[in-house]
Amino acid sequence: MDGQTLKYALSFELRQAFLDLALSCKAVICCRVSPLQKSEIVDMVKKHVKAITLAIGDGANDVGMIQTAHVGVGISGNEGMQATNSSDYSIAQFSYLEKLLLVHGAWSYNRVTKCILYCFYKNVVLYIIEQNMLRFPQLYRITQNAEGFNTKIFTALPPFTLGIFDRPCSQQNMLRFPQLYRITQNAEGFNTKVFWGHCINALIHSIILFWFPLKMLEHDSPFSDGHGNDYLFVGNMVYTAGMVMQCWYFWLGLILVPATCLLRDFAGMVMQCWYFWLGLILVPATCLLRDFVWNAGRRTVRKTLLEEVQELEARAVDPGAAVLRDASGRSLNERAHLLTRVFRKTPSSVGRSNSVQQTVTHGYAFSQEEHGVVSQTQVVRSYDTTRQRPSV
Amino acid sequence: MGKEPAKSGPLARRPDNSAFMQQRLPAWSPMLTASTVLPFMYCMAALCLFLGVSLLVTVQGTQEMKVLVIILFGDVAILTAVRLPCSASVFLPGVMLFFYYGLQNFHQNLRKYMDSRDDAQMVGRTDSLKNPSTYCEPYIRDEKGLPIAPCGAVANSMFNDSFILQYLGSPTETVSLYRKGIAWYTDENVKFRNPPLNNQTLDQAFEGTIKPPYWKNPVYKLDPSDPNNNGFINEDLIVWMREAAFPNFKKLYGILKRTGRFADGLPAGNYNVIVSYNFPAQHFRGRKLVVLSTVTWLGGQNHFLPIAYLVTSGLVFLLAAALTTIWWKFGRNAKNLEE
Repeated sequence: MDGQTLKYALSFELRQAFLDLALSCKAVICCRVSPLQKSEIVDMVKKHVKAITLAIGDGANDVGMIQTAHVGVGISGNEGMQATNSSDYSIAQFSYLEKLLLVHGAWSYNRVTKCILYCFYKNVVLYIIEQNMLRFPQLYRITQNAEGFNTKIFTALPPFTLGIFDRPCSQQNMLRFPQLYRITQNAEGFNTKVFWGHCINALIHSIILFWFPLKMLEHDSPFSDGHGNDYLFVGNMVYTAGMVMQCWYFWLGLILVPATCLLRDFAGMVMQCWYFWLGLILVPATCLLRDFVWNAGRRTVRKTLLEEVQELEARAVDPGAAVLRDASGRSLNERAHLLTRVFRKTPSSVGRSNSVQQTVTHGYAFSQEEHGVVSQTQVVRSYDTTRQRPSV
Repeated sequence: MGKEPAKSGPLARRPDNSAFMQQRLPAWSPMLTASTVLPFMYCMAALCLFLGVSLLVTVQGTQEMKVLVIILFGDVAILTAVRLPCSASVFLPGVMLFFYYGLQNFHQNLRKYMDSRDDAQMVGRTDSLKNPSTYCEPYIRDEKGLPIAPCGAVANSMFNDSFILQYLGSPTETVSLYRKGIAWYTDENVKFRNPPLNNQTLDQAFEGTIKPPYWKNPVYKLDPSDPNNNGFINEDLIVWMREAAFPNFKKLYGILKRTGRFADGLPAGNYNVIVSYNFPAQHFRGRKLVVLSTVTWLGGQNHFLPIAYLVTSGLVFLLAAALTTIWWKFGRNAKNLEE
């Protein structure tokens, strides 16, 4: 469609019809469009369709559209920096869009959801423990003193490292299996169910973390020389258990938490007590049991694509060589799909009026190559559209 | 950073091709597949079972005897006026080593109570001795304005009963107990120190201070039998000052002296416990106990941990079995993957 036609198509009476038509097409090309119309189209899609819109552009005339869309990507380069200055992401070439979406976008989503869920988990666990501690008011004191130091280091570092380094699977596989992008599109990593599941999990953990050390030390004679203990000791055990659960791959927490308590003698006394070490095995094991079993069970019964790719990666098998199938038995990677297509004539289905996405998507085609050997103008002009295409 | 000097041209601002910048850092994340989880869970179940059983055996090896101390006489008024010793007869089977006193319904973990102490005074600082901290209100000075040593509600409410354990053998013999070495090493030697003596006696060092209102003797006269156990380093005081976490607690009173007839511990037989009943438990509707206990490497008697371990072991085993059935039915064929 060109700009003139678009003027009428975007008018009030025709807007809905135009939208329906456009959505049933695989791609819509509009040319000679004014900046205002560009942003109008994006706005229209944004309002009427339950989808996230992305706009990419490289010139000053794209600024409106970039800012209207949910995600705006600007290309820096030939036409100046206008687009990049007003965009959410800026890249250097159009072809980088693939990596931006499939790799960095998906990784970002993964990291952000993990951080958020972790943050809620940590807060729920620690503050429910504190609520319980109000029954034992001076146990609270140990969290106050230990908290200032420990919170910053031990509970800030895990989300920090997750946010920087976490990768569900490697770059090549993210590009090879664009279906993995579906995870982010369907909000599988962060939705109401996942969130409340994490909160309830945290609640159960905090109950275990509080009551187990309490019950262990109730008899007031945990030492082999008969000496007693006090509130600081109990509080310390509970808090260490809590810390270990927060950063259970940060074993430093084991050593440093008792050491940074109020009194210097504590590190020695806590470490001397067998209950500390025995509790350290028991309490995290009990807390994590449910997660462990659930994850393992789910993976056994029904693996998601991501998990399969991860397993193949772990076994250092090239996933491209393997043929992966999705739940309905249809093959999922390019080679397999092409191979089936070669020997079979599938009739093209007519009248896909409301299928915006096909049931089996297999990759993207980014045929645009800038500064390539063959320029785009040449590619376009080499097609002779007057000739009939042979039926596939 | 080892960057090459900026080149001109289209590739001038490319980031480094290092593992960090290109997000290629090596990482390991555990993948919970059935083949890794199942052996781990069976091992865990076995470990918990082993620990549970061994801990249970250890805890069963401890012996504990709790005796409730009931005042046999009249009402409160008489008790405050008259300090009567009372005795209870108990039968102790075999070896007992540690003598505790227990209190029930005494909340040493109340926040205002716990704040009401001055650790600087108790570590022996002379300026804190004469000017106790305001946390000790109202047990900071008496009516005449003299500072209280030790100040605060915790010290004021110190447990001041004394117990004598008597063995009713052929001659009735008093079992002697070590009354020192009952507090933590660091408490005795670091946290609680008397004010510096400077060629004075202890009561001269405490000149100008007064005892807490509930106490009978001032702090430098707490232990007439042992001159080294007076002042802030009195072990009973130290043990009391380490506030317990629960309202029902026990604190160490004495350790059996293994001499003479008691070289192998307390022989089985009848014993008398003579209590100088000073601490008024009925004021806070609490109860007093005398606890005699042996300890092992794991401490006194507490069945929670071994039972928790056994329960966890059972739970882990059940879940592992369930997971094995699931794996057997669903996962073994690995329909999803062909190579």
